[in-house]
Amino acid sequence: MKQSLLIYLMLLTAIATVAQSSDKETVRTRRHESNVLAGFNLGAAAPVPFPNTIRKIDGWWPRMSPSIGYEYIYLLPQKWGIGASVKLDYKAMGTRAQVIYFPTIISVKDGDQTNDFTGTFSGSNETRMSNAYVTVPVYGVYQFNRRWKARLGLYMSWLFSSEFEGNVSDGYIRNGGPTGEKVNIDVATFDFGDEINSFDVGLYGGGDLLIARKLSASVQLSWGLRPLFPSSFQGMDFPLYNIFGTLGITYHLH
Amino acid sequence: MAELSSNNFDPACHQITRAPIKLYNMLIKPVGWIAIIMLLMISCIKDPPLNPEADIESFTIDKDLLLADVFIDQVNSKIVLHLTDDAYDSGFAPFITTSAGATVTPASGDSIFFGGDTIHYVTRSQDGRYAKRYTVELASIGNWAFDFEHWEIQPTDKYAYPVEDDGSMVWTTGNPGVALSGVSKDPSSYPTRSTSDHMYGMKAAELVTLKGTALSGLVGIRLFAGSLFTGTFNSLNAFVNPLTATEFGQPFAGRPRRFSGYFKYTAGSIFQDKEGNAVPGMKDSCSIYAVLFKGNTRLDGTNINTSDRIVATARLKTTGDHAQFTRFDIPFEYATTAPLTGKHMMAIVVSSSQYGDTYRGAIGSRLVVDSLRIIY
Repeated sequence: MKQSLLIYLMLLTAIATVAQSSDKETVRTRRHESNVLAGFNLGAAAPVPFPNTIRKIDGWWPRMSPSIGYEYIYLLPQKWGIGASVKLDYKAMGTRAQVIYFPTIISVKDGDQTNDFTGTFSGSNETRMSNAYVTVPVYGVYQFNRRWKARLGLYMSWLFSSEFEGNVSDGYIRNGGPTGEKVNIDVATFDFGDEINSFDVGLYGGGDLLIARKLSASVQLSWGLRPLFPSSFQGMDFPLYNIFGTLGITYHLH
Repeated sequence: MAELSSNNFDPACHQITRAPIKLYNMLIKPVGWIAIIMLLMISCIKDPPLNPEADIESFTIDKDLLLADVFIDQVNSKIVLHLTDDAYDSGFAPFITTSAGATVTPASGDSIFFGGDTIHYVTRSQDGRYAKRYTVELASIGNWAFDFEHWEIQPTDKYAYPVEDDGSMVWTTGNPGVALSGVSKDPSSYPTRSTSDHMYGMKAAELVTLKGTALSGLVGIRLFAGSLFTGTFNSLNAFVNPLTATEFGQPFAGRPRRFSGYFKYTAGSIFQDKEGNAVPGMKDSCSIYAVLFKGNTRLDGTNINTSDRIVATARLKTTGDHAQFTRFDIPFEYATTAPLTGKHMMAIVVSSSQYGDTYRGAIGSRLVVDSLRIIY
């Protein structure tokens, strides 16, 4: 992961340098803009809407989830522009919830065999997620005035590292379903990190406010439209979507 | 910096450059929005679902009427009663509790009588979608002589379990616990099963210590010893407190003198501890013993060797490798010579790994037992 980050940063610098040098002739015409984006993602992989088997959210906490990237905007006449970015995006969070009669099929690979447990779970669930994506948002840009700028479009994300693990505790399972035998659980761990979809796509929007000569404050929202897990995954009977806001800055290279 | 929109410069915007407002726009506003979105999602918690569960959770009758505590077999939807003769003749009115909101017919407190048809209790869940039909099974144990000739396959998880000539269950295995670990649904993938490698009749009981599954590893279980015992298996605490899941003992009348049978045993090569690490120099051994104890409440893995209710014990001491069927005949050792009064239970406990109850042993250890007898 650290290596990937390093490679990515080098790539980013290279792109920025190339972009900068090739821009010299066009600056006067103000036909494009390039920026460095940096910030933190805050959000969750969440079901929409919540199923009634989730009874209570006991906690949610952000985890280290930086987002850094490079943005290029091609300016059209008037106030419009077309932009694209390439970002290294960590989408991470932790959450603790109470669930009841929660249907689940847990499959664990064991050499050439797969062990399945099918049934329901009632009790506590703690999940820690940290997924890293290379994200490419593509969007329209609208410049309200010298200070305010908005983006709206789509993003595509390619997963390059994933973590989705946690435990269930203080509850019970029922083997096979609601009428199966009840078995108390004090704690059992799970790790679904390998099952996460490697591609995500969703809605992307945001706004920038110029706060210094070369710096804007930036807020972005990405709303995933593709479930976090493939439909073959049956650990939970509802889809989760990446819903993350990014708080950060936009540094205007030129 | 690119001057993006000089054509639309609005002097009024300068007003928001004042520091507090700037800060508001920079930080509070976006954080606020994200918080609102999060809150909206969290506040979308719906009304709780109606309860889909339909267990009979307890079935209580006067303990004086029983030779053994009532066992509710949740896996096979049976209520197993060992009644005194008086209770059988007079009938009784059990007090029944169910999963919250479920209903049961006949109702709790209704009298039931024996002699006619099999008695069933039917539950229906609060949400109306699930029902369970419990069969009341009247158990009585004839001869304490077991050849393990008849085996049945549990319909959903496909593990084998021995039954008596009349189809009743005196013996139980640890297989129902193993079934929760996602082993493949095939009798041979469970540690306790039948084998044609017999001494008498056609079949015998085979117990093999197996490697835990990846799923059982999630609750810290890395080894399953084969286990076979007179009693019941209660899945409820099989993970939380596995020693209490094996409920040892069946009603027993008389004063036993000896415990005999045939066994063969081959220990697996590498003994492992609970964490799955090899323990050099340690050799696995099997476990075969019988315990007579007072009362009509079963003992379990926590107290089968220590309870003050224990009256007599017969324990096989040569528990190492025996490549061929070997006969054993062990006298019961009584703590006192006083005559036996009141109700008693007999537990025969057989395991392919002596320390299998704490998930220690050698994978591959194989024990075959046949023709087990309690001699009066």
